[in-house]
This record gives sequence, structure tokens and C-alpha cells, in this order.
Amino acid sequence: MAFFEIKGISKSFGGLKAVDNLSFHIEKGEILGLIGPNGAGKTTAFNMIAGYFPPDKGEILFKGENITGQRPWTVCEKGIARTFQLSKPFGEMTVIDNIMVGAFARSRRREQVYRKAEEILELTGMTPLRDVEAHNLTATDRKKLELGRALATDPELLLMDEVVAGATPQEADAMMKLIRRIRDNNVTILIVEHVMKVIMGLSDRVVVLNYGKKLVDCPPGEAACNVEVLKAYLGERYVNPSDS
Amino acid sequence: MDPIIIGVAVVNGLMIGGIYGAVALGLSLIFGVMRVINFAHGSFLMVGMFIPYWLWKLFGVNPYLSVVVAAPALFFLGYMVQSVVIAPLIRRERALVLEPVSVLMLTAGLTWIMDNLALMFFGPNFRAVQLDFALNTIQIGILSMNVTRLLAFIMSILVAIGLSMFLAKTDLGRAIRSTAQNRDAAALCGINVSKVYNITFGLGCATLGIVACFMIPFYYVSPSVGLGFGIRSFIVVVLGGIGSIPGSILGGLVLGVVESVGGQFVTATSASLFSFIIFIGVLVFKPTGLMGKKV
Amino acid sequence: MSGAQISSGPAGSSKSLKYIIGIAVFALFLAAPLLITSEYILHILIMTVYFAYLAVSWNIICGYVGQLSLGHSIFSGIAGYVSVLLFIDTGLSPWIGMFIGGLFAMMVGVAIGYPCFRLRGPYFTLTTIAFAELVRIWLENTDEFLGVQLKGAMGLLVPLRGDAPALFQFTGKEPYYYTILAMLLIAMAITFWVERSRLGYYLKAIKGDQDGAEAIGVNSTKYMLTAMAISSFLTGLGGCYYAQLFRYINPERNMGIDISIETALMAIVGGQGTIIGPVLGAFLLTPTGELARSFFGGALPGLHLVIYGLVLVLVVIFLPKGLISPLRYLIRKGVDRK
Repeated sequence: MAFFEIKGISKSFGGLKAVDNLSFHIEKGEILGLIGPNGAGKTTAFNMIAGYFPPDKGEILFKGENITGQRPWTVCEKGIARTFQLSKPFGEMTVIDNIMVGAFARSRRREQVYRKAEEILELTGMTPLRDVEAHNLTATDRKKLELGRALATDPELLLMDEVVAGATPQEADAMMKLIRRIRDNNVTILIVEHVMKVIMGLSDRVVVLNYGKKLVDCPPGEAACNVEVLKAYLGERYVNPSDS
Repeated sequence: MDPIIIGVAVVNGLMIGGIYGAVALGLSLIFGVMRVINFAHGSFLMVGMFIPYWLWKLFGVNPYLSVVVAAPALFFLGYMVQSVVIAPLIRRERALVLEPVSVLMLTAGLTWIMDNLALMFFGPNFRAVQLDFALNTIQIGILSMNVTRLLAFIMSILVAIGLSMFLAKTDLGRAIRSTAQNRDAAALCGINVSKVYNITFGLGCATLGIVACFMIPFYYVSPSVGLGFGIRSFIVVVLGGIGSIPGSILGGLVLGVVESVGGQFVTATSASLFSFIIFIGVLVFKPTGLMGKKV
Repeated sequence: MSGAQISSGPAGSSKSLKYIIGIAVFALFLAAPLLITSEYILHILIMTVYFAYLAVSWNIICGYVGQLSLGHSIFSGIAGYVSVLLFIDTGLSPWIGMFIGGLFAMMVGVAIGYPCFRLRGPYFTLTTIAFAELVRIWLENTDEFLGVQLKGAMGLLVPLRGDAPALFQFTGKEPYYYTILAMLLIAMAITFWVERSRLGYYLKAIKGDQDGAEAIGVNSTKYMLTAMAISSFLTGLGGCYYAQLFRYINPERNMGIDISIETALMAIVGGQGTIIGPVLGAFLLTPTGELARSFFGGALPGLHLVIYGLVLVLVVIFLPKGLISPLRYLIRKGVDRK
């Protein structure tokens, strides 16, 4: 029984097939990267896993349990948390209150929740921003807040959607260190990213999507992987098969 | 129930329904372009109806001629209200500084101010314009229709057609439509978005001015008529779909018929119950309305 | 509403200053009937506290979640009718009838909330208005239902029993005052408890971003319905009180759209999503409205509504967070200067 598995999920919007018979699995404790050009179906896949909307076909299995089509809060309660590509902070609430909302998913007691939120602030390096109202944060800090909030729900599987978009190289490095620390805290990670250095550097395995279909599923070092990635992003013409 | 009586009720319902549709046009336009729910819509109509009334009462002007005064006056009023009071709010709402329901409350406040200023100055009485031919009827087949109502109905259809053509064919109309689709893209194309907003609001109010002049020959005016028409306009817009002109007329017709036929079975005030039930039903089950686009 | 603990220093003294002011104000309110000699002024005070109570109850669902319900009088109306009918037909003391009425209101609240919460923004508001008007119009046109006398637009008179505390009737005004004052304090305490609890955090999260909230475990429908249940129950209790205060109930007075809008107005003007905001709003607007009505009502009918409208427009434009934001700022500045 795989830790997490999607089997043949598909989703169409009107005439457009965003995700086409997609299957892959995730091992417990690994970091799986999901890459592909814009429109490949990555965020749609995320949305289906997180319960934002159900797939037209196929199954999503988490720790052996079928969670296909369950609502986002139920999915969260079962142990899967997600961040959004366009971060969604609770604007008027302070950073710590934002995180407390996440922590309330596991406990009703305020003191406990407050302490957990403080831990998360520590882990993500946001302690100095504790009492800042969320709508006053920079874009990068918003992404960190998004991450912190998701972590506060004590997930076993964390779905991260483009957390280093727009970050400077130093910020990206810091984020990579943070993500590794999160994995060391027993959190399995599924990450979508465009910044190659980050995703190839972090992932144990990589799944490449294009036009909603899975092209390849392999460790990032392997040559076959790189060829498929290039083909997906740049097109067949730019890749000379005799070079691989 | 006698089918002839029902038939007459349906015809009457259609006629008044066309008028409801025309009244709601402005609301639909304003919301479609600016995403502003104008709670004060009915109050603007009320103001629009008092203009021909007073012109008739004080100077003996035929209300149909007052259109040349009422329409520009209401355009001006709408333009001013939008640019002075509502625009700053929309600007701030874009910057996410504001509570999301502010424009709603703002226009609700405007309704109170307008309705009660009218109450203070004009008193609560219902007033009507007396015209010589007001009670005349026209025979069409077996139906006899009141002339003033028929004129109002015809004008309503003409206003709807006129507005559609204006939006479809003129440059300004195109500017309005593109702003409704995507205000940022429109701005990038050189369209002065705030001016478009002001003009749209003014235009929405101006249609009220036109319809009002045609209503006053057979409809009583008082400071309290605004609320009823405001609510009806919302029902029409929800029925017909936001931003759709034919939808507005269609929604108005449906509302008119429901009210008129319903009024044969229960008291007139109870008939509005059906309107509300339909309203809730549509909102909950088919929020895009009978003809509208996605909200 | 930070989770910060009480500490010494400017934040701490601001907190103790608030306690001192709070206690002084409370004492003033307790002593009010003894200090006020005019029965008319006491009446205005009662109405003010009553509207403060309604505004606080409204705030629990609307202020925190950020949706605008303009049909809340449906709850006060239905509960009022239930308790009055129970009293007329079975002699049940309105003290108990209140709670039954409140429960009815709560059920209606949840029933309405369920379809309404799927709608956003103005559609939600319009639907609340539609429901409230629906029930009001039906009541106005129904004389009898399932054997129960409703008397339509004429309304119901509460049978007079003179001085009968057990039946929620008093000859003097003072007991009514203390009753509504107690209700207000309870409603404020409930608001305080909600604000600090998971429910409160979840409601604010839903207001901030509903999708984001759902992703981190917030079942938005469940929590909004919970808040709605509390709010509609409390509002229902208020409606029963109102019926007992005037010993009369009819659809126009108790379920009109005017009360709904005025309640919302007070909460917004004072400051939505806070504990004191709605109270402030009620204390500013109710006496103003009453005085405008008495002094100018004859010559200039509707003046008080023009004033309400102006206040609303000005507050929305200049003080979007309500009157409470400049007040908080002043208190903090006053403390920092020490």
C-alpha cells in the first residue's frame, strides 16, 4: 500500500482536458517534484487532491483510504495540507493569528494552539513578524505565512504550489533549507515549482507533466528525465535525441 | 378561473412587466459594468417621477415632453453621485482597504437620504398627474388596453432597444462594454475608466428619467415608491441575469405576469410573495438567471 | 485580537485603563434609573440598550464573517410571535416562551443560512431581505393559520396582567431596563467568548479568505451556521423582550425591513467585528433618531432617517472600520504619552 497514490484521474473544463489519466504515487518521507510548463495541469491536479473540486474520473488514495472528492477541510483533517499559488492570507488578522487558525485544526484549546503557532513562527523564521497584519506582508513573507499556516495543521503530506516564485536566490536557498527541515520533521512533500535549481535540488523523484499527461517519473539526475523536461518546456525540435 | 380574466391579467402583467424591465435596465447596466449594487435605484426613479409631476403641476407641462428635462437631469444626478460619492469607495475597495460590503451600505444610506428628503419636502401623499386622455383605451382584438400604459410599454421596449444599439454600435458603448469585461485591460487601451463609470451611472439613471415620464400619467408618485421599485428591479435583474438587456426585459415580463396573475387569486400585496419565492428560487438554484452570464 | 498575553508597559496600561473605564461605565449604567427622573429619557435609554443588544447579536454572524444580512428582524419577529401566542393560548410565562421563541428563531436561522451562505456579497444580502419580506408579507395577510389566531396586520395584544413579574410584565419601567441591560451584558460576554474561541478565529478566517480557510481545516458552512444559530437565537430573545415591553406585536413593527437595516447600521457605524462597536453605534444613533423624531417629527417627517443616511454615508467613506477605530487610536495615544 503506497503512502499516497493517484490512479487515473482526469478533469475537463468544458472542452479542455486539463488533466488526462494521471497516475503516480508518493513514498512516505520523500520529496516528489511535479513539473511542467504553464497549463500542464499541475495546479489542477493539486486542486483535486486537496478537495477543491473532484476529478471527473479516477481515484485518490491516502494511506490506503479513498479520499476522492472529499471537501478541503476533511482532506486537511486527514493529514494533507496545501499552499496556494496565489497566496491567500487572512488580511486583517496578524501573522500569529493566521497561524493559529491552522493550529486550531488539531486542538480547541487556545493556550495549546498559541504555543504551536509560536513554534511554527520559530521554524519559519517569522517571529519578528508576529503581530504584523497579514495584508502588510511582502509577497515572499506571504508565501512563508501560507506555508506556516499549512504546517500548523500537522500534516503528513504537504502540497506546495510554487513557494519560491519571485524569490531572490538567497530567499530561494533559505526556502530550500526550510523545506528540507520540514521533511526531516516527518512530513512528506509534493512540490510544484518552475525554478529548476530548487526543484531538481530538492526532489527525490520528479514527475513531468504536459498537456495534462504524465510524461516521465524518475530521479532528477537521470538523463532520460532531463530530456523529457527539456522536451516539455522547449518542444521536441530543441532536443536532439542523439545527445542523450 | 375564467380564462378571459386570466388572459387579461396576463396582458396587463406583460405591459407593466415591460416597464419593470425598463426600470431595471439601469440597475443591470450599472452592476454589469461596475459591480456596484445600487440600492438607491428605486429612489432615483422616485426623483425621476417627481420631475414631470412638478413640471406639470407648476407649469402645466405635458409629462411626455418632460423627458427632455428629466433624462438629462437624472443623468447629471447619477453622474455626480457616482463621481463624488461612490468613486472614492471603489478606488479604495480595489486597494483592499475597505470592508467588502461598503458600497452596498453606501447606496443604502443614499436611499435613506433621498427618500426622506423627498418626504420632508413633498410630504407623504400620493400624487398623480391628470391627463385628458389618461382613461382612454384602445381596442386590439378582444383586448382593450389603456393608452397611457400602452405608451409606457412601447417606450420601455424602445429604451431597451436604444440602449442595446448604443452599446453595440457607438464608440462610447464599446468603451463601456470593454470596461465591463476587464477594467484593467480597458484602461491599458486608453479608456478613461472613471469617466466610463460616471457615464454609465449617469446613463442608468437617465433611463429612469425617461421611463418615469411615461409612468407618471398612470402611476402614483410618493416618496415611498422608491423601495418597491428598487426591490422589483433586483428581482428582475436576478431573474434575467446581470448585464443582459434582453434578460432584463424578459425578467420584467415574468415578474409582471406573476404579480398580475397572482393578484387574481390572492390579495395584491400577497402577490408579491410569489415574486420573492421566485427570486429566492432563482438565486439558489440558477444564480446566472434565466438568460444571464456567469456572475 | 492578538494572542498576546497581558504584559506591563504601554500595552499593559492600555488594558488596565480599559478595565477602569469599563467598570466606571458599568456602574453608571447600573445607577442610571436612579439618576434619571424623566420617564421619557428612561424610555430612550431602554430603546438604546435594546438596539445595542440587537446590534451585538447581529454582529456575531455578520460583523465577523463580513456578510451583510438585512433581514435579521425575521428572527425577532418570529420569536416574538411564538412567545406571545404561547402566552395567549396556553398562558405559558413569556420568560419560558422567550426561549422557545428563540429556539424557533434559531431553526429558521439555520434553515435560511444554509442556502444563503452559498451566495456571496450582494446576493446574500438580497436573499436575506427576500426571506424577511416573505415572512412579513405572509403574516400581514394571514389572519389564522392551523387554527391559531394571527390577526394579520392588526397584530396581537399581549393580555394585560398588571404587575406580574413571573409573567414578564411590570408596571414600572425600571425592571424592563435592568432586564435588557442584563441581556446586553450576556450578549457581549458571548461575543467575547466567541472571539477568543476557535469559532471566532474561523469566522475571521472565512472573512479573510474563504478558500484559504477551507484548505486549513475550516468547514465554512458548519461554522457560519453555528454563528448564525447563536445570532438568530439571541435576536429572537430580543424580539420577545420587545413584545413584552410594548405588550403588542405586529408584522410591521417587529419584522419590518427598517429594524433590520437600522440594526446593521448601528453595528457598522460603531465598528463591525468588535465587541463594543455595535454598542457605540447604538448609543450614537438611537438617541439621535428618537430626538429627531420628537422635535422635528411633525414638521419634517423622516428627518431622523436622513440623519441616519448621512451618518452611514460619512462613516462608510471616512471611517470604514467604524467609530471604534479613532477611539482605539485615541486611547492608545493617551496611554503612550504617560
